[in-house]
Amino acid sequence: MGFDISFMIVALKEAIKYIPVTLILAVIPLIIGSIIGTIIAVIRIYNIKVLSKLVQVFVVIIRGIPLVVILYLVYFETTNEFDTIAAKFNWNIHSKDINVIYIAIIAISISAIANISETIRGGLISVGKGQFEAAYSIGLTRSQTLRRIIIPQGLPVILPSLCSNFIGLIKGSSIAYLITVVDIMNGALITATGNYKFLEAYIAAAIVYWALCVCVEKASFIFEKRLSACVKGEVL
Amino acid sequence: MENYFNISLVFKYLPQLLSRLHITLLIVLSATVIGLFLGVILALFRLYRIPVLNQIAIVYISFMRGTPILVQMFIVYYGLPMLLMKIGININRWDKLYFVIITYGLNAAAFNAEMIRAAIISIPEGQAEAAYSIGMTKLQAFSRIIAPQSVIIILPTLGIALIGLLQDTSLAFTLGILDVMGKVNAIAANTYRSLEGYVSAAIIFFVLSILLEQIFSIVEKKLHIQKI
Repeated sequence: MGFDISFMIVALKEAIKYIPVTLILAVIPLIIGSIIGTIIAVIRIYNIKVLSKLVQVFVVIIRGIPLVVILYLVYFETTNEFDTIAAKFNWNIHSKDINVIYIAIIAISISAIANISETIRGGLISVGKGQFEAAYSIGLTRSQTLRRIIIPQGLPVILPSLCSNFIGLIKGSSIAYLITVVDIMNGALITATGNYKFLEAYIAAAIVYWALCVCVEKASFIFEKRLSACVKGEVL
Repeated sequence: MENYFNISLVFKYLPQLLSRLHITLLIVLSATVIGLFLGVILALFRLYRIPVLNQIAIVYISFMRGTPILVQMFIVYYGLPMLLMKIGININRWDKLYFVIITYGLNAAAFNAEMIRAAIISIPEGQAEAAYSIGMTKLQAFSRIIAPQSVIIILPTLGIALIGLLQDTSLAFTLGILDVMGKVNAIAANTYRSLEGYVSAAIIFFVLSILLEQIFSIVEKKLHIQKI
């Protein structure tokens, strides 16, 4: 059994069709993660009572659990429990009607929130305490300090790691095929179910993922350069 | 379903899962050893800009960092026997565990190589120049001056990489490895109770991650004291 390049191209074409699905699986968690992650980071930086400890426990626990386990937990939680809840409230929806992609998005978002909150917190901490104090001393409020002083300075630090978070999300989204979401991975594999040429299908999937990640990396590089030029221009 | 979540089952499954923990740890340990060994070699290729090998290392690292480990695992599983068959070596009867270890080792190598390269670059050039000026050879300068300093820089990132590797091993069950996650799936298939099993697996992975983190922070502190 040799390597069948023409079949690999067939699988490649099929896999390319599903790039939007993978992007949805990565972009929505990135957005959700950035919003809630920022809130968590701010809560932890300002050390708000009780809440700060609570989110810290959440972040530590979620970061300690592999994404697959989170995915399966969410998957079985929704598929098993949803019917019971739906029956209680007389809803006309069944767990089978829920598109699995939503389950995957929820699971990936949970892990993205924890990871991105750490990224953002690291970026905000890197700004330095003196900046906070200086902003307070000239009479800025907390939210003004964040918006005008801290976030603009933290952004150049945060963005590169946010991009690597995004690459991690693209790669992590490949496990969504375990709960039968048809993304790049599954799209390539479906073509191989007829003739068992799985190696070709996996290589096709790898090429698509690789191309995606390289593009994101390059984009982040250009973005970073622009941003650092921008920041330097302001300071000098 | 009345008894939807049964907490006592979590404690019942925990020992069963722990009995497969050695497989998970074996994958992590052997992959780390392979990854560090290959990672140092790849990093040296890139640092000394050895022609051809440098370019191969760049492409290899980019591929390994740009594709999901799940895909890599299956490529190694299907591709390696085919590749070796051409040279005349038959590994079709190999245990699947070897393929998993090879994949995770190769994957870790790419990440470690970048880590090691970044750490060595971060040592100021003056250190190497000073070493040469007192008559050290290239090898001596590297092993006595550059390497000890970069180890301290590498250690925290290595800890994070190790925790990442531990969490990645949770994907080995897709190849049919009976590690912690594989056992959970086996239990779920037998008993139709999946949630408790996954909760126990989550507990195991969580505790292991915290443990690794603590160990590394202790080692780091010790090293820093020595340094000062």
